[in-house]
Amino acid sequence: MTRLAITINGRALAPTEVRDDLTMNDFLREHLGMTGTKFGCGAAQCLSCAVIIDNPDGTSYTSPTCVVSAISFDGKAIRTVEGHAKNGELTALQKAFIEHFAFQCGYCTAGFLNEAQVLLERLARKPVARDELEKTIAEALDGHICRCTGYVKYHEAVRDVVLADPKRYLA
Amino acid sequence: MKSETRFQILVSVAAIGLSMLTGYAASQPVSNTLASPESFAGIAGTAARSAAMFTELGKVLTHPRCTNCHPAGEHPHQTDASRLHQPPVTRGPDGHGTETMRCSICHGNANFDPGRMPGHPEWHLAPREMAWEGKTIAEICAQITDPARNGGRKVEDLIHHIGADTLVGWAWHPGFGRSPAPGTQQEAGALVEAWVKTGAACPAK
Repeated sequence: MTRLAITINGRALAPTEVRDDLTMNDFLREHLGMTGTKFGCGAAQCLSCAVIIDNPDGTSYTSPTCVVSAISFDGKAIRTVEGHAKNGELTALQKAFIEHFAFQCGYCTAGFLNEAQVLLERLARKPVARDELEKTIAEALDGHICRCTGYVKYHEAVRDVVLADPKRYLA
Repeated sequence: MKSETRFQILVSVAAIGLSMLTGYAASQPVSNTLASPESFAGIAGTAARSAAMFTELGKVLTHPRCTNCHPAGEHPHQTDASRLHQPPVTRGPDGHGTETMRCSICHGNANFDPGRMPGHPEWHLAPREMAWEGKTIAEICAQITDPARNGGRKVEDLIHHIGADTLVGWAWHPGFGRSPAPGTQQEAGALVEAWVKTGAACPAK
Protein backbone atom coordinates (compact mmCIF):
# COMPACT_ATOMS: atom_id res chain seq x y z
CA MET A 1 0.00 0.00 0.00
CA THR A 2 1.23 3.47 -0.84
CA ARG A 3 -0.18 6.87 0.05
CA LEU A 4 -1.70 8.79 -2.85
CA ALA A 5 -2.37 12.52 -2.78
CA ILE A 6 -4.07 13.88 -5.85
CA THR A 7 -6.13 16.86 -6.97
CA ILE A 8 -9.07 16.03 -9.22
CA ASN A 9 -11.06 18.71 -10.99
CA GLY A 10 -9.64 21.36 -8.68
CA ARG A 11 -10.43 19.50 -5.48
CA ALA A 12 -7.57 18.08 -3.41
CA LEU A 13 -8.47 14.64 -2.13
CA ALA A 14 -7.40 13.65 1.34
CA PRO A 15 -4.33 11.40 1.02
CA THR A 16 -5.44 7.81 0.79
CA GLU A 17 -3.70 4.44 0.90
CA VAL A 18 -3.94 2.50 -2.35
CA ARG A 19 -2.59 -0.83 -3.53
CA ASP A 20 0.57 -0.61 -5.60
CA ASP A 21 -1.05 -2.72 -8.32
CA LEU A 22 -4.16 -0.53 -8.58
CA THR A 23 -4.58 1.17 -11.95
CA MET A 24 -5.57 4.81 -12.12
CA ASN A 25 -8.66 3.79 -14.05
CA ASP A 26 -9.81 1.51 -11.22
CA PHE A 27 -9.02 4.19 -8.68
CA LEU A 28 -11.29 6.68 -10.47
CA ARG A 29 -14.08 4.31 -11.35
CA GLU A 30 -14.13 1.84 -8.47
CA HIS A 31 -12.78 3.81 -5.52
CA LEU A 32 -14.17 7.24 -6.32
CA GLY A 33 -17.15 6.23 -8.43
CA MET A 34 -16.11 8.64 -11.19
CA THR A 35 -17.32 6.54 -14.09
CA GLY A 36 -17.07 9.29 -16.69
CA THR A 37 -13.57 8.01 -17.37
CA LYS A 38 -14.08 4.87 -19.41
CA PHE A 39 -12.25 1.58 -19.57
CA GLY A 40 -11.87 0.57 -23.21
CA CYS A 41 -9.10 -1.58 -24.59
CA GLY A 42 -7.10 -1.78 -21.38
CA ALA A 43 -3.91 -1.39 -23.38
CA ALA A 44 -3.60 2.38 -23.92
CA GLN A 45 -4.60 1.92 -27.53
CA CYS A 46 -8.04 3.51 -27.73
CA LEU A 47 -7.52 6.33 -25.21
CA SER A 48 -11.14 6.34 -24.08
CA CYS A 49 -9.66 6.33 -20.57
CA ALA A 50 -7.58 9.49 -21.07
CA VAL A 51 -7.64 12.22 -18.45
CA ILE A 52 -6.00 15.64 -18.41
CA ILE A 53 -2.90 16.19 -16.32
CA ASP A 54 -2.14 19.81 -15.41
CA ASN A 55 1.48 20.85 -15.11
CA PRO A 56 2.43 23.50 -12.55
CA ASP A 57 3.49 25.81 -15.41
CA GLY A 58 -0.05 25.97 -16.75
CA THR A 59 0.44 23.52 -19.61
CA SER A 60 -1.42 20.25 -19.75
CA TYR A 61 -1.48 16.92 -21.52
CA THR A 62 -3.58 13.79 -21.58
CA SER A 63 -2.67 10.42 -20.20
CA PRO A 64 -4.35 7.03 -20.41
CA THR A 65 -5.37 5.62 -17.04
CA CYS A 66 -5.87 1.95 -17.86
CA VAL A 67 -2.22 0.93 -18.02
CA VAL A 68 -0.66 3.16 -15.39
CA SER A 69 -0.68 2.82 -11.66
CA ALA A 70 -2.71 5.10 -9.42
CA ILE A 71 0.36 5.88 -7.34
CA SER A 72 2.15 7.25 -10.41
CA PHE A 73 -0.34 10.13 -10.18
CA ASP A 74 0.77 11.04 -6.66
CA GLY A 75 1.11 14.79 -6.29
CA LYS A 76 -0.51 15.52 -9.63
CA ALA A 77 -3.53 17.60 -10.56
CA ILE A 78 -5.86 16.02 -13.09
CA ARG A 79 -9.12 16.81 -14.79
CA THR A 80 -11.71 14.27 -15.81
CA VAL A 81 -14.76 14.60 -18.00
CA GLU A 82 -16.80 15.39 -14.87
CA GLY A 83 -14.78 18.57 -14.43
CA HIS A 84 -15.57 20.36 -17.68
CA ALA A 85 -18.98 21.89 -17.00
CA LYS A 86 -19.12 24.61 -14.37
CA ASN A 87 -22.26 25.06 -12.26
CA GLY A 88 -24.20 22.92 -14.66
CA GLU A 89 -23.19 25.03 -17.67
CA LEU A 90 -21.59 23.04 -20.46
CA THR A 91 -18.44 24.43 -22.07
CA ALA A 92 -18.41 25.67 -25.64
CA LEU A 93 -16.62 22.47 -26.57
CA GLN A 94 -19.22 20.25 -24.97
CA LYS A 95 -21.99 22.20 -26.69
CA ALA A 96 -20.22 21.83 -30.01
CA PHE A 97 -19.96 18.07 -29.48
CA ILE A 98 -23.73 17.96 -28.93
CA GLU A 99 -24.51 20.22 -31.89
CA HIS A 100 -22.45 18.04 -34.20
CA PHE A 101 -23.71 14.85 -32.58
CA ALA A 102 -20.01 14.10 -32.24
CA PHE A 103 -20.59 10.73 -30.68
CA GLN A 104 -22.82 7.78 -31.15
CA CYS A 105 -22.44 5.26 -28.39
CA GLY A 106 -20.48 7.88 -26.45
CA TYR A 107 -17.92 5.52 -25.03
CA CYS A 108 -14.93 7.34 -26.49
CA THR A 109 -16.35 10.83 -25.95
CA ALA A 110 -14.69 11.53 -22.61
CA GLY A 111 -11.27 10.85 -24.08
CA PHE A 112 -11.93 12.97 -27.16
CA LEU A 113 -13.33 15.78 -25.03
CA ASN A 114 -10.28 15.82 -22.78
CA GLU A 115 -7.91 15.72 -25.73
CA ALA A 116 -9.77 18.52 -27.50
CA GLN A 117 -9.78 20.62 -24.32
CA VAL A 118 -5.99 20.27 -24.05
CA LEU A 119 -5.73 21.31 -27.70
CA LEU A 120 -7.86 24.42 -27.16
CA GLU A 121 -5.76 25.46 -24.18
CA ARG A 122 -2.60 24.90 -26.20
CA LEU A 123 -3.96 26.98 -29.06
CA ALA A 124 -4.89 29.75 -26.63
CA ARG A 125 -1.25 29.86 -25.54
CA LYS A 126 0.22 29.26 -28.97
CA PRO A 127 -2.22 30.08 -31.79
CA VAL A 128 -1.78 28.54 -35.22
CA ALA A 129 -2.47 29.94 -38.68
CA ARG A 130 -5.86 29.12 -40.18
CA ASP A 131 -4.29 26.99 -42.87
CA GLU A 132 -2.62 24.84 -40.22
CA LEU A 133 -5.79 24.30 -38.22
CA GLU A 134 -7.11 21.16 -39.91
CA LYS A 135 -3.79 19.38 -39.58
CA THR A 136 -3.40 20.58 -36.00
CA ILE A 137 -6.78 19.20 -34.98
CA ALA A 138 -6.18 15.91 -36.79
CA GLU A 139 -2.81 15.44 -35.13
CA ALA A 140 -4.16 16.33 -31.69
CA LEU A 141 -7.01 13.82 -31.88
CA ASP A 142 -4.88 11.16 -33.52
CA GLY A 143 -4.66 8.02 -31.42
CA HIS A 144 -8.21 8.24 -30.06
CA ILE A 145 -10.33 5.46 -31.47
CA CYS A 146 -14.06 5.72 -32.13
CA ARG A 147 -15.71 2.41 -33.02
CA CYS A 148 -18.73 4.33 -34.36
CA THR A 149 -16.36 6.23 -36.69
CA GLY A 150 -17.41 9.67 -35.52
CA TYR A 151 -14.05 11.18 -36.34
CA VAL A 152 -15.29 13.78 -38.79
CA LYS A 153 -17.90 15.05 -36.35
CA TYR A 154 -15.38 15.33 -33.56
CA HIS A 155 -13.08 17.19 -35.89
CA GLU A 156 -15.82 19.56 -37.01
CA ALA A 157 -16.92 20.25 -33.44
CA VAL A 158 -13.41 21.27 -32.39
CA ARG A 159 -12.99 23.36 -35.53
CA ASP A 160 -16.23 25.20 -34.84
CA VAL A 161 -15.08 26.18 -31.36
CA VAL A 162 -11.80 27.49 -32.73
CA LEU A 163 -13.40 29.42 -35.58
CA ALA A 164 -15.98 30.93 -33.24
CA ASP A 165 -13.17 32.69 -31.39
CA PRO A 166 -10.39 33.24 -33.94
CA LYS A 167 -8.69 36.01 -31.98
CA ARG A 168 -8.10 33.56 -29.19
CA TYR A 169 -7.03 30.49 -31.10
CA LEU A 170 -5.69 31.59 -34.49
CA ALA A 171 -2.54 33.49 -35.32
CA MET B 1 -11.21 -55.74 -35.24
CA LYS B 2 -8.61 -57.82 -36.93
CA SER B 3 -5.18 -57.71 -35.34
CA GLU B 4 -3.68 -56.53 -38.66
CA THR B 5 -6.03 -53.55 -38.80
CA ARG B 6 -5.36 -52.80 -35.13
CA PHE B 7 -1.63 -52.81 -35.89
CA GLN B 8 -2.06 -50.44 -38.83
CA ILE B 9 -4.00 -48.00 -36.65
CA LEU B 10 -1.35 -48.15 -33.96
CA VAL B 11 1.38 -47.47 -36.50
CA SER B 12 -0.57 -44.53 -37.92
CA VAL B 13 -1.17 -43.01 -34.49
CA ALA B 14 2.48 -43.47 -33.60
CA ALA B 15 3.57 -41.85 -36.86
CA ILE B 16 1.29 -38.87 -36.34
CA GLY B 17 2.52 -38.52 -32.75
CA LEU B 18 6.13 -38.71 -33.84
CA SER B 19 5.61 -36.11 -36.56
CA MET B 20 3.99 -33.78 -34.02
CA LEU B 21 6.91 -34.19 -31.65
CA THR B 22 9.37 -33.59 -34.48
CA GLY B 23 7.50 -30.46 -35.49
CA TYR B 24 7.47 -29.30 -31.89
CA ALA B 25 11.20 -29.76 -31.60
CA ALA B 26 11.79 -27.94 -34.86
CA SER B 27 9.73 -24.98 -33.70
CA GLN B 28 11.62 -24.55 -30.45
CA PRO B 29 13.24 -21.12 -30.11
CA VAL B 30 16.97 -20.81 -30.35
CA SER B 31 18.93 -21.10 -27.14
CA ASN B 32 18.15 -18.38 -24.64
CA THR B 33 21.57 -18.58 -23.03
CA LEU B 34 24.83 -16.82 -23.81
CA ALA B 35 28.15 -18.59 -24.13
CA SER B 36 30.95 -17.29 -21.95
CA PRO B 37 34.06 -15.67 -23.47
CA GLU B 38 36.11 -18.60 -22.22
CA SER B 39 34.10 -20.99 -24.36
CA PHE B 40 35.62 -19.38 -27.47
CA ALA B 41 39.19 -20.17 -26.40
CA GLY B 42 39.37 -22.98 -28.91
CA ILE B 43 39.22 -20.55 -31.84
CA ALA B 44 42.83 -19.99 -32.86
CA GLY B 45 42.91 -16.56 -34.52
CA THR B 46 42.26 -13.55 -32.29
CA ALA B 47 40.16 -11.77 -34.91
CA ALA B 48 38.13 -14.88 -35.59
CA ARG B 49 37.61 -15.39 -31.86
CA SER B 50 36.58 -11.76 -31.44
CA ALA B 51 34.13 -11.96 -34.34
CA ALA B 52 32.70 -15.19 -32.97
CA MET B 53 32.06 -13.54 -29.63
CA PHE B 54 30.25 -10.68 -31.34
CA THR B 55 28.14 -13.18 -33.23
CA GLU B 56 27.17 -14.69 -29.88
CA LEU B 57 26.35 -11.21 -28.57
CA GLY B 58 24.23 -10.78 -31.68
CA LYS B 59 21.65 -13.07 -30.05
CA VAL B 60 21.01 -10.16 -27.68
CA LEU B 61 21.31 -7.32 -30.18
CA THR B 62 18.84 -8.86 -32.62
CA HIS B 63 16.36 -9.84 -29.90
CA PRO B 64 13.00 -8.00 -29.96
CA ARG B 65 13.77 -6.52 -26.52
CA CYS B 66 16.56 -4.58 -28.22
CA THR B 67 15.41 -4.07 -31.81
CA ASN B 68 11.94 -2.85 -30.81
CA CYS B 69 13.54 0.34 -29.48
CA HIS B 70 16.29 0.47 -32.11
CA PRO B 71 13.81 0.77 -34.99
CA ALA B 72 14.46 1.75 -38.57
CA GLY B 73 12.24 4.78 -38.90
CA GLU B 74 10.19 6.91 -36.57
CA HIS B 75 8.10 4.36 -34.74
CA PRO B 76 9.01 1.86 -32.01
CA HIS B 77 7.78 -1.70 -32.08
CA GLN B 78 6.47 -3.85 -29.29
CA THR B 79 5.88 -7.43 -28.15
CA ASP B 80 7.90 -10.50 -29.06
CA ALA B 81 6.33 -10.29 -32.52
CA SER B 82 7.76 -6.78 -32.95
CA ARG B 83 4.48 -5.34 -34.12
CA LEU B 84 4.14 -1.59 -34.54
CA HIS B 85 3.68 0.25 -31.23
CA GLN B 86 0.08 0.93 -30.30
CA PRO B 87 -1.07 3.61 -29.70
CA PRO B 88 0.77 5.12 -32.66
CA VAL B 89 3.73 7.11 -31.38
CA THR B 90 6.74 8.70 -32.98
CA ARG B 91 10.22 9.32 -31.67
CA GLY B 92 9.96 13.12 -31.60
CA PRO B 93 12.95 15.44 -31.60
CA ASP B 94 14.80 13.76 -28.73
CA GLY B 95 13.70 10.13 -28.91
CA HIS B 96 11.39 10.63 -25.92
CA GLY B 97 8.25 11.10 -28.00
CA THR B 98 6.44 14.12 -29.30
CA GLU B 99 5.47 17.15 -27.23
CA THR B 100 1.99 15.84 -26.58
CA MET B 101 2.82 12.13 -26.40
CA ARG B 102 5.96 11.69 -24.33
CA CYS B 103 7.09 8.15 -23.58
CA SER B 104 6.90 8.89 -19.86
CA ILE B 105 3.15 9.54 -20.02
CA CYS B 106 2.57 5.79 -20.09
CA HIS B 107 5.97 4.31 -19.26
CA GLY B 108 6.61 4.88 -15.57
CA ASN B 109 9.74 4.40 -13.51
CA ALA B 110 9.31 0.63 -13.38
CA ASN B 111 7.30 -2.12 -15.03
CA PHE B 112 3.62 -2.01 -14.09
CA ASP B 113 2.51 -5.55 -14.74
CA PRO B 114 -1.21 -5.08 -13.93
CA GLY B 115 -1.32 -2.72 -16.92
CA ARG B 116 1.20 -4.79 -18.94
CA MET B 117 3.22 -1.59 -19.11
CA PRO B 118 7.01 -1.74 -19.21
CA GLY B 119 8.85 1.05 -17.49
CA HIS B 120 12.14 2.72 -16.66
CA PRO B 121 12.93 6.32 -15.65
CA GLU B 122 14.73 6.93 -18.95
CA TRP B 123 12.38 5.10 -21.30
CA HIS B 124 13.08 6.32 -24.84
CA LEU B 125 14.11 5.25 -28.32
CA ALA B 126 17.67 4.73 -29.47
CA PRO B 127 18.79 7.50 -31.86
CA ARG B 128 17.95 7.17 -35.55
CA GLU B 129 21.55 6.44 -36.47
CA MET B 130 21.49 3.44 -34.12
CA ALA B 131 18.70 1.63 -35.94
CA TRP B 132 19.26 -2.14 -35.82
CA GLU B 133 15.93 -3.30 -37.13
CA GLY B 134 16.32 -5.53 -40.18
CA LYS B 135 20.12 -5.58 -40.06
CA THR B 136 22.43 -8.55 -39.98
CA ILE B 137 24.80 -9.08 -37.08
CA ALA B 138 27.71 -8.05 -39.32
CA GLU B 139 25.91 -4.83 -40.24
CA ILE B 140 25.15 -4.09 -36.61
CA CYS B 141 28.79 -4.72 -35.74
CA ALA B 142 29.98 -2.28 -38.40
CA GLN B 143 27.50 0.25 -37.07
CA ILE B 144 28.28 -0.23 -33.40
CA THR B 145 31.99 0.31 -33.99
CA ASP B 146 31.40 3.52 -35.92
CA PRO B 147 31.24 6.57 -33.56
CA ALA B 148 29.11 8.37 -36.12
CA ARG B 149 26.46 5.69 -35.76
CA ASN B 150 26.81 4.55 -32.15
CA GLY B 151 26.07 7.73 -30.25
CA GLY B 152 29.67 8.95 -30.38
CA ARG B 153 30.95 6.08 -28.26
CA LYS B 154 34.30 4.36 -28.33
CA VAL B 155 33.99 0.60 -28.42
CA GLU B 156 35.29 0.57 -24.83
CA ASP B 157 32.23 2.60 -23.80
CA LEU B 158 30.01 -0.20 -25.03
CA ILE B 159 31.22 -2.42 -22.18
CA HIS B 160 29.38 -0.22 -19.71
CA HIS B 161 26.51 0.62 -22.06
CA ILE B 162 25.61 -3.00 -22.72
CA GLY B 163 26.93 -4.49 -19.49
CA ALA B 164 25.70 -2.00 -16.89
CA ASP B 165 23.28 0.63 -18.29
CA THR B 166 20.00 0.12 -16.46
CA LEU B 167 17.76 0.93 -19.43
CA VAL B 168 19.61 -1.67 -21.49
CA GLY B 169 19.35 -3.93 -18.45
CA TRP B 170 15.55 -3.74 -18.65
CA ALA B 171 15.84 -6.15 -21.59
CA TRP B 172 16.58 -8.94 -19.11
CA HIS B 173 13.73 -7.95 -16.77
CA PRO B 174 10.97 -6.98 -19.20
CA GLY B 175 7.96 -7.88 -17.09
CA PHE B 176 4.90 -9.97 -17.76
CA GLY B 177 4.34 -11.34 -21.25
CA ARG B 178 7.68 -10.46 -22.78
CA SER B 179 10.59 -12.83 -23.23
CA PRO B 180 13.85 -11.54 -21.78
CA ALA B 181 16.97 -11.10 -23.86
CA PRO B 182 19.21 -14.20 -23.87
CA GLY B 183 21.52 -14.83 -20.94
CA THR B 184 22.07 -12.11 -18.38
CA GLN B 185 23.28 -8.54 -18.65
CA GLN B 186 26.46 -9.55 -16.83
CA GLU B 187 27.10 -12.29 -19.39
CA ALA B 188 26.46 -9.88 -22.24
CA GLY B 189 28.80 -7.38 -20.62
CA ALA B 190 31.50 -10.04 -20.30
CA LEU B 191 31.13 -10.87 -23.98
CA VAL B 192 31.41 -7.21 -25.01
CA GLU B 193 34.47 -6.74 -22.85
CA ALA B 194 36.16 -9.82 -24.28
CA TRP B 195 35.19 -8.74 -27.79
CA VAL B 196 36.72 -5.28 -27.26
CA LYS B 197 39.87 -6.70 -25.72
CA THR B 198 40.37 -8.98 -28.69
CA GLY B 199 40.22 -6.12 -31.16
CA ALA B 200 36.46 -5.65 -31.65
CA ALA B 201 36.49 -7.62 -34.88
CA CYS B 202 33.28 -7.94 -36.84
CA PRO B 203 31.89 -11.12 -38.37
CA ALA B 204 32.11 -11.26 -42.15
CA LYS B 205 28.37 -11.76 -42.61
